[in-house]
Amino acid sequence: MNKYLPLVAALVLSSSTVAAQSFEDVFNAQRALHGNGHAFTFEGEQYTTDHPEELEAAAPANATNAKALIASAKAMHAEVKAVGYDWTLTKGILKNASKALKAGDFQKAMNLAAQAKYHARMGVAQYHNSKQSWLNMVPE
Amino acid sequence: MKIITSWLAGAALALIAGMSSAASTGNTIATVDPEADRLALQAYFQKRFPEVELADYGNGIYALDAASRAQWEELEEFPPYEFDIEEGEELFNTPFANGKSYADCFENGGIGVRQNFPYWSEQQDQVVTLELAINQCRTANGEKKLGWKKGKIAQISAYMAFTSAGELIDIKVPNDKAKAAYLDGKAQFYSRRGQLNMSCANCHLQGVNIPIRADRTGPTLGHVTHFPVFRSKWGALGTLHRRYGGCQNNVRGTALKAQGEEYRNLEFFMSYMSNGLAVNGPGSRK
Repeated sequence: MNKYLPLVAALVLSSSTVAAQSFEDVFNAQRALHGNGHAFTFEGEQYTTDHPEELEAAAPANATNAKALIASAKAMHAEVKAVGYDWTLTKGILKNASKALKAGDFQKAMNLAAQAKYHARMGVAQYHNSKQSWLNMVPE
Repeated sequence: MKIITSWLAGAALALIAGMSSAASTGNTIATVDPEADRLALQAYFQKRFPEVELADYGNGIYALDAASRAQWEELEEFPPYEFDIEEGEELFNTPFANGKSYADCFENGGIGVRQNFPYWSEQQDQVVTLELAINQCRTANGEKKLGWKKGKIAQISAYMAFTSAGELIDIKVPNDKAKAAYLDGKAQFYSRRGQLNMSCANCHLQGVNIPIRADRTGPTLGHVTHFPVFRSKWGALGTLHRRYGGCQNNVRGTALKAQGEEYRNLEFFMSYMSNGLAVNGPGSRK
């Protein structure tokens, strides 16, 4: 009997873990396992492991789309700077995106802008998350 | 990788051992209790490092790690900040163009006052750090501000700390506005930032004395007592806010402004946590 205990425990734990998993948890797990471009199912619906910014960068590579993506990345960057949660690499990535646009390398510009926008969006999310969770780290 | 794994495992264990969710010490003006926070922080460290005397926390990581302490004690035989104290004294005593001096701006002529900074200024409606007071003294007397992070301001601050050696940190949170500033500093300390998603507490509470490559991070208890510090990495003296900026960059977060409201409030919180410990600045660190 004892040899089955770990198996039973694992099954119980895994089923309760799956039940408690949010979309974000599942997305992050799938993303970590497969990278981007992977399809997965959550509550009967089909999704991919792409970040929204990666989907934006998958639009046709041209000057108009590159400019639009850089502009939206800059707007998100301004938002994260305003709350003081800017990450160090974002500014440089945005600069490189503008350089690539100037050089006519639209796909590179879009990829970089998408990366910068993702950083900035994560910074904003981190800000909101920290506001909710910092107290959990305080010793009692 | 092994080191990172051991650090993460250690941090996780520390987290489980010493933390619980939703601290009772409060996250609103009505519930926050600085003294309860201070006692809880002390208790946390005393539980983790029962062999360490409370008073020794002013020596940072050197209170916890014998090997690091031995190196540091050798370094302190010829303190690298010695000339900075002398230069700070000279700067402190050099009159401004109007004939007045720093001594005219501070209680007791600026001697032995380090332990009272930062304080809540009712008049200014903000936290006033020693460095802010030094520059306010300058501008009030028609002089230009000094840079916040290093050089002359750090030397003057070092001299003033030196004249306060042995005095016990005595930070007060006198009213609700001061409490709000304290609470903001507390939230800053425990909030994760940067691409590495780390808070001050991750290194200086849970991660204390756990190796990160060749270094071990020091405890937040006693952190402020020895600033400004001469860091071997800088090859010079620097202020606490210079260090804050460096820490934030280390976790790939863009540093906030030195002497901006966020860092002053953070210093207010951290200094309160060290109430009762002796001023021993300037110090030397790796």
